Amino acid sequence: MVDSNSSIADVPDRELVRRMSQGDEAAVGLLYDRHGAVLYQLAHRIVGQRADAEEVVMDTFAQAWRDAPRFEPERGSVGAWLTMIARSRALDLVRARDRRERAAASAAQETASLPERPPADPAGAVELAERRRRVELALGELSLAQRTAIELAFYEGLSQSEIADRLDEPLGTIKTRIRLGMQKLREALGPYRHERGA
Amino acid sequence: MSKVDPSSIPLLAAVHALGALDPAEARGFERLLASSEEARRILVEYREVAALLAHGAPSTDAPDPGLRSRVLERVARTKVVRLTDGALPGSHATARGIRWALAAAVVVAAGLAGYAATLHRRLESLGAQLAELRADSTALAERVARHEATLDAVLDPGVELHRLTSPTSPAPGIQLFLDRRRHRALLHAFNLPPAPVGRSYQLWFIRDGIPVPSVTFNPGSGGSTVVGQIVVPEGRGLSAAAVTEEPETGSLAPTTPILLVSKLAP
Repeated sequence: MVDSNSSIADVPDRELVRRMSQGDEAAVGLLYDRHGAVLYQLAHRIVGQRADAEEVVMDTFAQAWRDAPRFEPERGSVGAWLTMIARSRALDLVRARDRRERAAASAAQETASLPERPPADPAGAVELAERRRRVELALGELSLAQRTAIELAFYEGLSQSEIADRLDEPLGTIKTRIRLGMQKLREALGPYRHERGA
Repeated sequence: MSKVDPSSIPLLAAVHALGALDPAEARGFERLLASSEEARRILVEYREVAALLAHGAPSTDAPDPGLRSRVLERVARTKVVRLTDGALPGSHATARGIRWALAAAVVVAAGLAGYAATLHRRLESLGAQLAELRADSTALAERVARHEATLDAVLDPGVELHRLTSPTSPAPGIQLFLDRRRHRALLHAFNLPPAPVGRSYQLWFIRDGIPVPSVTFNPGSGGSTVVGQIVVPEGRGLSAAAVTEEPETGSLAPTTPILLVSKLAP
């Protein structure tokens, strides 16, 4: 089990995943404390509803729990792994459900009813805020066209051909926008690994 | 598949990290990954970048304080089913479904084992194919994981098995494994003729007498398919499930007569 006396920041993400693979449920809680908020924001951005976003987060950690023995650190960080699981689950949910109900949901109403909660891990919250600032800065360096193409792919799960159709642009143009945009992001964010305690 | 131009690796990796390659390109790039360490390295970098985009999502609200405990409850309830497990949970109502799932899993496992053995022999004689074999092994593990997830979905004691049958022909059918507690379902279609070009089958849940659209699907070459993680509408008025033929992208309301139907009495 995770030693509650040791500093959370001392335990690398991948060590938590290793402990998960051995059946340590407490490790899931620590991983949630580090990544749960970002995964929830991502899920909310994709599914648009609070209840569905929470369902996505629960599905994400349940899948991570099942797949922990197969996690391969050389294929990327734990944060990236969890993010891609959450994105995939969220896109699956959006594709499966009634789009009319989604459109009817009022994000404003939901937001107004939400209680604000102080972060459980102040150091983690600071790191999270800094990471968000860096990402927003990097996204701000992209042209609107590049950002749009990348966001359609990431948040809506569209292929480059579907993006070309959606924007009524040549496929080659979309490929170029995605490549140049991702290249800029890689230069700006590449060294900023998506992992705690690595 | 034509050989991938090495200069295009960064482009392909960038788009693949976003999941935006078209299917044929994605398959070609996956094959390249098996043999190119550089491609794998670049893809990992772009995956990290893509994942960081999650931090660019608008900050709308904080997760509910109770979500953490619900995540842990979900994890505690998540069984990790192994194919070698002995005793099986379940009721008489799900027994046939369980047998089907186990039989399918055994057949798949046997097939995977045979495939792995073949690959192993090739590995001994063709050292250059080592990287490709590793990629294949990963894919096999992912397939086994998917089958384990399928078993998870049908083995839970609370899961109900419903059969959707045709009013006119007994041949095609659908097994619907319904988990009311988690609002999830898994669909197994069999003996289903291919839908016409540009058309798909679509599942509907009938709630309070109104059809609620669900997933679209098409059978494979053998007339069967399995669709998991289907979201089931919440509410007590769930009375039936039905299947119609619709445009490929699905419809918001049925546009053709019901082909298969089953009551969903709890």
